[in-house]
Amino acid sequence: MQPSFSLALTGSGGAGVMTAGQLLLDAAALAGRYGLMARSFGPQIRGGEAAALLRLANRPVESPDDAYDLLVALDWGNIERFADELPLAHGAMVVADPGQGEIPAVIAAQTRRIIQVPMTALARDIPGGRPNMVALGLTASLAGLPDAAMETRVRQVLARHGTDSVTAAMACLAAGRAAAADCARDGLPAFGDASPPGVAAHLDRWVLNGNEATGFGALAAGVRFCAAYPITPATEILEWLAGRLPRVGGRLVQAEDELASIGMCIGAAYGGVPALTATAGPGLSLMIESLGLAVAAEIPLVVANVMRGGPSTGIPTKSEQTDLNIAVYGLHGEAPHVVVAPIGIADCAPTSAWAVTLAEALQTPVILLSDQALGQTRTIADPPAAALPAAARRWHSPGAADAPGVYQRYARTADGVSPMSCPGMPGGQYTADGLTHTDAGIPSTRAEDHVGQLDKRRRKLEHHDYGGRWGEVSGTGELAVITWGSASPPVREACERAAAAGLQVRLIALRLLSPLPVVQLEAALAGVQACVVVEHNHSGQLYRHLRAWVELPRPTLAWHRPGPLPLRPGEILDALHHLQRQLEVAA
Amino acid sequence: MSPEAHAGASVALFLAHAVTLEEEAAERYDELADTMAVHHNEVAALFRRMAGYSRLHRDEALGRAAAEGDALPALRPWEFAWPSPESPESAALEYTHYLMDAHQALTLALAAERQAQAFYQQVADTTADSRVRALAGEFAEEEAEHARLLEDWLARHPPTPAQPKDDLDPPVAVD
Amino acid sequence: MNTAVVIRPKDYKSATKPVWCPGCGDFGVLNALTKTLAGLALAPAQVAVVSGIGCSSRLPAYTSVYGFHGVHGRALPVATGLAVARPDLTVIATGGDGDGFSIGGNHFLHACRRNVNLTYLVMDNAVYGMTKGQASPTSAADWAGSKLTPDGTGIAAFRPLEIALSAGAGFIARGFSGDPNALAGLLAEAIEYPGFAFLQVLSPCITYRPEQMEYKALVAAGFEPLADRNAAFRRLLTDDGFTTGLLYRAPVAAGGSALATAATPDDTASLAGIAREFTAARLHAANEHES
Repeated sequence: MQPSFSLALTGSGGAGVMTAGQLLLDAAALAGRYGLMARSFGPQIRGGEAAALLRLANRPVESPDDAYDLLVALDWGNIERFADELPLAHGAMVVADPGQGEIPAVIAAQTRRIIQVPMTALARDIPGGRPNMVALGLTASLAGLPDAAMETRVRQVLARHGTDSVTAAMACLAAGRAAAADCARDGLPAFGDASPPGVAAHLDRWVLNGNEATGFGALAAGVRFCAAYPITPATEILEWLAGRLPRVGGRLVQAEDELASIGMCIGAAYGGVPALTATAGPGLSLMIESLGLAVAAEIPLVVANVMRGGPSTGIPTKSEQTDLNIAVYGLHGEAPHVVVAPIGIADCAPTSAWAVTLAEALQTPVILLSDQALGQTRTIADPPAAALPAAARRWHSPGAADAPGVYQRYARTADGVSPMSCPGMPGGQYTADGLTHTDAGIPSTRAEDHVGQLDKRRRKLEHHDYGGRWGEVSGTGELAVITWGSASPPVREACERAAAAGLQVRLIALRLLSPLPVVQLEAALAGVQACVVVEHNHSGQLYRHLRAWVELPRPTLAWHRPGPLPLRPGEILDALHHLQRQLEVAA
Repeated sequence: MSPEAHAGASVALFLAHAVTLEEEAAERYDELADTMAVHHNEVAALFRRMAGYSRLHRDEALGRAAAEGDALPALRPWEFAWPSPESPESAALEYTHYLMDAHQALTLALAAERQAQAFYQQVADTTADSRVRALAGEFAEEEAEHARLLEDWLARHPPTPAQPKDDLDPPVAVD
Repeated sequence: MNTAVVIRPKDYKSATKPVWCPGCGDFGVLNALTKTLAGLALAPAQVAVVSGIGCSSRLPAYTSVYGFHGVHGRALPVATGLAVARPDLTVIATGGDGDGFSIGGNHFLHACRRNVNLTYLVMDNAVYGMTKGQASPTSAADWAGSKLTPDGTGIAAFRPLEIALSAGAGFIARGFSGDPNALAGLLAEAIEYPGFAFLQVLSPCITYRPEQMEYKALVAAGFEPLADRNAAFRRLLTDDGFTTGLLYRAPVAAGGSALATAATPDDTASLAGIAREFTAARLHAANEHES
């Protein structure tokens, strides 16, 4: 395993740890490192305690590590709330400000390696100095980031605040570095420069969070309409699109509620314009009735559902893979639709684009299950290797001689997809209807129409070629782990660690959750003797879903736990070892 | 057209009114026939016949217009100078019922024909144009003739004595 | 569609026969709508009628234009999305008083505020017809004709025009299904108004509210178009609910919608530029702005 370095910056009430963390990640990108930054907040709207949680490495990382190598605390406000989110590694270094009082017991119990740096006092000695900039200089130095990268980034951000600000910040960074020089570095994982200075290739890398990636994927695939109702942690998708849609000829409307936002998307998509909205569990619940309408009326659209702890308001700022059940099974009636999930932060872009293409190709709603961990974690990633897929709808081509009423909007074609018209297309007039209807869209209560239309809507999903994007399969061996969505990065890392320890595990990370790719899954499971299904929720929703559809190996274990704490590779590695023991016992 | 405008201001304007009056009467009878057919009510056939008569009259008015040589003015629906909310020969939609009998249907039609007659007569009585006066008088006389025929017809279809007051099949829940 | 061909009102009707009871006011509204479309000579493919659920919401299928018959209460959001995404279309939302003022009431308020260019035509019969005659928001508080509220609802009736005016609608009118020519005229004005236009139509239910057959005697044209909101509020203080006509038409400059501006043309170069915003190179580009 290549080394990585995990660090946490904590502070309360305007201490600026989020800014410092973001600048650190940016500097890492400039220096050719990979990395990620998650954020943890208290419940306050502003000024509450906050933690910037970073991991830096010389290879792409999308999972948090098991523990933190370094904790830099500007103060100790409410540290108890954070403590279980901040497991410290054996021998971890804690940098504290002596002016902020005693080291809390919860921290002192974890490590004896505590270094007092008077960050506030150091900043006070510098005109215009700020403690978070001192902490930044110190942290960057301990993390082994080149001074030039750190200074370049800080200079750029502060340039518009004037020379004095820049001068003060540079002095703070230097003071922090000087303090770091006094710290013994032994025990801190060292990793050298990612690439020699002057290599520009790493400047092409992308620095983004999953919510931005989701917005970009949608835009690239052709989404040109968004209706928005704000909800944590999905709002950034909507805000990102609000700034970009007008630049590509699209529009965004802020709706009065989620009942309206889904309705507006249906209206735009009915009008031929690919549409997306983003929400979280409570909003998805409100959209469900209209999603059924979109199934029945065969309207393509995407709902990006960024999951958070539930039910009800739950924990809006924390991640949990808890909406699989409602996404797959929540619609009333028999309502075949598509559910997909990105399996990484950077993967949000291609999977979001894929969701749009599926919706448009199949004329049905697609629910994209992202979550807070993917959406609000910022990462440094390689840019997409291939162009993102672009959406195409099967359009009706009206004949010149078509009489009114001839067009069969819901024609029962062999593959179930009926050529669609939209307003503005002469000869394509029809009434889209949520009532059971004939092939022409006329309301009907006849059994033949009901069954025929149910059949054809199911057929279009069953006959579609989902290609290779249905999931990621890697590794070999008799053990397999099946996972989905945001659980995939920590599971992937657990599998890598297992392999390094001589335990070969096959990884199956699912993007396509409904309809389940049963044939592909069973092929991927060929030869597997034991399996574990890993997910981040309380009841094992994917496990139960798989049990309903797929012939799973025996034994197949369910390993899952709810949020708010993120999944970490080490606990999953333990699960893999447990699985191995099960297999040995069975043998 | 202002509310004060007169349907008999010119021959072309008068014929535009007459054509539309008969066309809308025919469409209304067809609409009533359709709604009755949905409910398997035999009066559908009666309304269908009335629609046919109205089309004959419309064609007659169109023939007069062709003889005049001038194109009729293209009035928008709200620009006609009708003395009533709808054109006068449009049978009143609101007085229909899915169980209505022939007597009720003929009564409805008679009212429409009489209203048309009154319209034409009123134009004839108040127009300043002598050619319009002659045409409108002629049309009024035709409508009077239809009204007399309907009265005879009505006499052969007395009210159904046993029509129950209550609907044996009350309305149902739909959506 | 050959524009030289004159399209007559009946050409805007489909072959599908209404489920409405003979005598229903909604027949008159359908006739008025088709007369309006013919009067304005709108190409059928350029018009979309969007509805929710209820007797009157069945209307789109009876036209030959594009139709959308959705779920209960959501006609306005669907119509809004369509009108914003496709400003080239004539979008008309229709439905009943239950659909628009009860389950869809929130959307009504915000559609008035949002002022997207569409027409909202509510067929108001003060009753839920499709579920067998329950009280609706516009039923009188003491109307005791439903088994569900045998003593009346005890709730003051919703006053659509006052609420539309309060919520910021720029075009407010009332019509009557029994006067389809005048209604067609109002509807034409509503369609041509460059913003959200609200039109309440008294449309009797002869099945559950047979007393509404007397509307013909009660309804009278009486509103004179006002451009002053203050005056419109005062006029509504003496409104008996049966006065028809155009009550209020805000000057267009004041009613311009933020969403009414034309979209810029699609630009794939823009997409490439947006992708570049993600690159690490931007983190030391001289022109970057951030907070």
